[in-house]
Amino acid sequence: MYIVSVCGMGFGTSLMLLMDIQSIAKDFGYEVDGEATDLGSAKGKKCDFMVASSEIAAELSDQDVPIISINNLLDKEELKQKVLPLIESIAKEESK
Amino acid sequence: MIDFLVSILSNPAIILGIIAAVGLIALRKSTSDIIKGTLKTLFGFLILQQGSNIIVNSLVPFSTMFTEAFGLTGIVAEDNSLVAAVQTVLGKETALILIFSFLINIVIARFTKYKYIFLTGHMMFSFAGTMAIVFNQMGVSSFWTVVIGSVIQGISMVIFPAISQPFVRKITGNDNVAFGFWGSSWISLSGWIGGKLGNKEKSSESMKVPKSIDFLKDMSILMGLIMIIVYVVTAIFVDPKVMAEISGGENPFQFAIFQALGFVVGILILLQGVRMFLGEIVPAFKGIGEKIVPGAKPALDVPIFFSFAPIAVTLGFLSALVGGLIVTFISSLLPVVVLPSVIGLFFMGGAAGVFGNATGGRRGAIISGFVLGFSWSLLVALAYPLVDVTQYGVQGLWFASPDAILVVIIIRLIGMLFGIHI
Repeated sequence: MYIVSVCGMGFGTSLMLLMDIQSIAKDFGYEVDGEATDLGSAKGKKCDFMVASSEIAAELSDQDVPIISINNLLDKEELKQKVLPLIESIAKEESK
Repeated sequence: MIDFLVSILSNPAIILGIIAAVGLIALRKSTSDIIKGTLKTLFGFLILQQGSNIIVNSLVPFSTMFTEAFGLTGIVAEDNSLVAAVQTVLGKETALILIFSFLINIVIARFTKYKYIFLTGHMMFSFAGTMAIVFNQMGVSSFWTVVIGSVIQGISMVIFPAISQPFVRKITGNDNVAFGFWGSSWISLSGWIGGKLGNKEKSSESMKVPKSIDFLKDMSILMGLIMIIVYVVTAIFVDPKVMAEISGGENPFQFAIFQALGFVVGILILLQGVRMFLGEIVPAFKGIGEKIVPGAKPALDVPIFFSFAPIAVTLGFLSALVGGLIVTFISSLLPVVVLPSVIGLFFMGGAAGVFGNATGGRRGAIISGFVLGFSWSLLVALAYPLVDVTQYGVQGLWFASPDAILVVIIIRLIGMLFGIHI
């Protein structure tokens, strides 16, 4: 599966988000590919879902993939609760 | 043979490629990941250089226009573009300082109580470039530039997060992450002033900010609008005959607008390059750092604080913009005209808003943003004579990060003790 993480510049918090998600996924035995990008270039990217901080996520609402909005970027528990179910269901889809 | 090695190691793209490859190998990544990571690092760096060429190409006519119009030098404070532009001259030093400073950071974190690991890649790159430029100007040899620059950067990567940590704890409510951004001291100071003058009871987050300014979150739009205004206003003040010469006969406004857009395009390309090589290098650095330093606190980029008070970000940015513009207007009293530098004003002003809100509510956020915008632009203007970047063929750009500028000031003062004058 391929995910896109988004922030204002595309290499600060988005990269951290991506790495955190990859490590959460790895803990549960999933392999997640993805890229960190800025708001401008995120739109229209092909991926399974996008993830961003809440204020950036609001700008992505017109995308046709699920958008995960994270309120506290430093809270790994929030990230896990929001991202893991989606990763699990996508992994199930893929293995069909 | 030696010539061959020197030629390889003088190419910063190759050094960064090697850093990525070694990092990925140390993390025991698969062969395909190592090839991918190494090549993407090389691509990223080459893209960055192309972006920097575009920026320089649209800044050169602008600098001419600005000097013609106002008889003054106008600069935009933007580290990434500046450091990218000097890579053809100081690329090897920059890449080597980047890697060695990170190793020194790990050693300090491993053996002292300061467990900070600085992970904001583009900031490490720009600081390394800053060190390379400063020591090169002071006539220090390449070897000693790398040695002294790495030590200073390695220490800075721990000290600055440590200074701002009390504020970070107040905002995040925990001690797990740190602030890894070369504006942290200035933002903390602005937040502290905002706290003294504000009222903590009235948080910015109970305010309503109109939806219509949401588009400002897209950096390219914001920068595009401001650069168009800056270029067009400058063009109006240039003597029409001279303007015709600069624009090569093209309609002056069309010329100014497209030069402004070209500048933004250059920044977008440059950032794409930065994104590509950091996407490979930062995860490798992070993996290595966490393996060697137990209990490491990652020092992260500024937007991690934005989600704690999004409205304070907008307030802080807008008041920082006002503060910055005031400095632009009083610049006839200063050594140089600091044009509104959107990227810095947005990220630092926004963070100052969050810090000010945490200590002094909405009034704190506004005051803190204003103090940051004004004092930062003033710092850039006053420190400008310390380092001359035009000798590398760079016009219209100067350093932006206040922490780095503070370090540069200290270095130059110490240099004076040893008889190295400006």
